[in-house]
Amino acid sequence: MAGTVIGEGLSIEGDVTSDEEVVVQGNLRGKLTSTDAVSIGPSSVVQADISGQSVSIAGQVVGDITAPERVDIQAGGRLVGDVKAARFTIADGASFKGAVDMEV
Amino acid sequence: MSQSSVIGAGTIVRGNVEGEGSLEIFGRVEGDVSMGGEVTVSEGGAVRGNVAGEKISVHGAVQGDLLATQAVLLERGAKVVGDLSAPRVGIANGALVRGTVRTEGEPALAAPNKRVAAPAVFKPSAFAAKPVAKAEPKLAPPVEPDDEDDEDEEDDYDYDQQREAAVMPPARPKEKEPERRPPPPVLPSLGKGAKAKKKKHRD
Amino acid sequence: MARPSFDISVLGPSTRVTGRVTGGGSLRIEGSVRGDIQISGDAEIAEGGSVEGNVTAEALEIAGTLLGDVVSSGPVAIRNGAVVRGELRGSEISIEPGSRVSARLVADFELDLGPLPPAAAAKRR
Repeated sequence: MAGTVIGEGLSIEGDVTSDEEVVVQGNLRGKLTSTDAVSIGPSSVVQADISGQSVSIAGQVVGDITAPERVDIQAGGRLVGDVKAARFTIADGASFKGAVDMEV
Repeated sequence: MSQSSVIGAGTIVRGNVEGEGSLEIFGRVEGDVSMGGEVTVSEGGAVRGNVAGEKISVHGAVQGDLLATQAVLLERGAKVVGDLSAPRVGIANGALVRGTVRTEGEPALAAPNKRVAAPAVFKPSAFAAKPVAKAEPKLAPPVEPDDEDDEDEEDDYDYDQQREAAVMPPARPKEKEPERRPPPPVLPSLGKGAKAKKKKHRD
Repeated sequence: MARPSFDISVLGPSTRVTGRVTGGGSLRIEGSVRGDIQISGDAEIAEGGSVEGNVTAEALEIAGTLLGDVVSSGPVAIRNGAVVRGELRGSEISIEPGSRVSARLVADFELDLGPLPPAAAAKRR
């Protein structure tokens, strides 16, 4: 159960930091940093660098993603930005453009 | 226990009322009321003047300030135009108040025309510059353009615009800080550590 | 996870937002927001939550801290334990004793004390 939910109707312009799970279903422009899991829902439009323990993207994101654990782009999701994570998956039907660093 | 007095419904007092005990007002007082005990302005009662007491309960109308050493309570149906000041203040649903409310220990708000500048204050950079601590006498400190958080404003936090769009009727002098930089290109370099640190500093 | 997402947003206790929050739906703030909030639904500043900025909402309940102005088209309720400083504008403003408030209340109403009968007391003497 996520600690923070940015609902579909909400827009945040600015920086968000958290120690909880963050679920974004609305819009975000700025920066998002969490020490826990971050999930961007299908209805989201995000223009921000995102940093989380793990980051899952089902919406539209323009920004760099950093996650020590994993980054997943779900079907229907779209990411333009660089990814830095130990694991990275791009589902069939997802879009991605950017550089990847899996800390090899 | 001190005496209690009553100003009946048909009574009008022109002048100040003072006493040690408690007072219940069903009628009308044109003047200040200052009691050592409890003052009750009952439904139908009215006071045009300031009221001071240990505890003040209002069910009627008051045009004047209310100052209590214990508590000021406005009940449903009360209509007050004036300032309220007491260690404890209660305003029930349905009471109408126009004026300032201050519970003990809280700093006074800035005077109205200074408040006009307030919208400009609530920009993130202003927070960085002025911690809004209890010691702050004014809620609208002068906007400090030279804050260290220039870099933080990646987006257009146009609070002034936001405020005007929201409601504020009077034209407010826009204490515009230097306009924020337009949003940087979409993929800023990953100077994440530095920025994140900055954020935390402000706390 | 399927969730009725439009309605309620929650900023958890460790969440800090620096910036502007706008939009539809309701918002519960358990963390902190530095910046203005303008939403079409209800806003709630939970105990422990804080907002430094102005809030415009349909209704507002404050159990935490608010330093800023409020414009509400509906009620504004300040709970015991809340700390509020700013100008409050709403259809109904209620303040529970035990809250710490330094605020200007702006309520639009006519205060009519009723007519005074002309110096009746003088006549009686």
